[in-house]
Amino acid sequence: MFKGMMKAFKMSCKDVYPLISESRDHSLPIFSRMRLKMHLAICGLCEIYQKQLEILCRIARSLGKDESKAFEEISLNPEIKEKLQKWIEEKK
Amino acid sequence: MMYRYTLVRVKDPEAAEELVQSAFFAALKSQNSFAGKSSEKTWLFGILKHKTMDYFRSSKKNISIDLTSEEGQIHFDAAGHMVPKPGNWHLDPEKAAENNELARVLAQCLNGLPDKFHRVFVLKEIDGMSSKEICNEFNIKPTNLWVILHRARNQLKLCLESNWFNAK
Repeated sequence: MFKGMMKAFKMSCKDVYPLISESRDHSLPIFSRMRLKMHLAICGLCEIYQKQLEILCRIARSLGKDESKAFEEISLNPEIKEKLQKWIEEKK
Repeated sequence: MMYRYTLVRVKDPEAAEELVQSAFFAALKSQNSFAGKSSEKTWLFGILKHKTMDYFRSSKKNISIDLTSEEGQIHFDAAGHMVPKPGNWHLDPEKAAENNELARVLAQCLNGLPDKFHRVFVLKEIDGMSSKEICNEFNIKPTNLWVILHRARNQLKLCLESNWFNAK
């Protein structure tokens, strides 16, 4: 019986990769969640993949934050800046 | 700051410049309606956010996605393992965002995504929009959204490996 249960929970890496990604987007059904958890406990490669996505998404999230320093040196074309400045002065 | 905000979200620098100008113009035009409930910066960014969303909406009809294409597909060996095998990036997820150079490489990789992958990824991961809202915006089913995000993440992962982790 135990063997049968284990077989039911077993998943291939091929099936696990999309689930790792999906688990970031919605709450997986309980059976899928358990199967994923069991697979990650024994598969180092899938665990690494999960961590890679975590890193990737954290960096992406930081890019959108005000305090991001990734593009500090990039600024708007000076001609456009001047145009915007003129608009502000005209509106005063 | 407004330009950087936009540039992270739209691929085209010229479109980013136009969006900033258009948000600025709209703000100046409606400055009398600024209630002062938030800071001017928050108000201005709110307008810019709307303009960016309008930009996504206006061009969404022109883009389609072929989920049978190769982009972002994972390849497997005979044993069912990903090829190339995921390698350890030796990076603490908590500290990953502190690396500005790596963030710039990711931004370049983002620009290499197909348009729909790019927009969906930006809204989901950069702006933190919910899956439901994105599905409504793009009129797609949740299952399609998950496939798009999975493909986008794979493509970005491979791009980061080629241009950063394996290039160092």
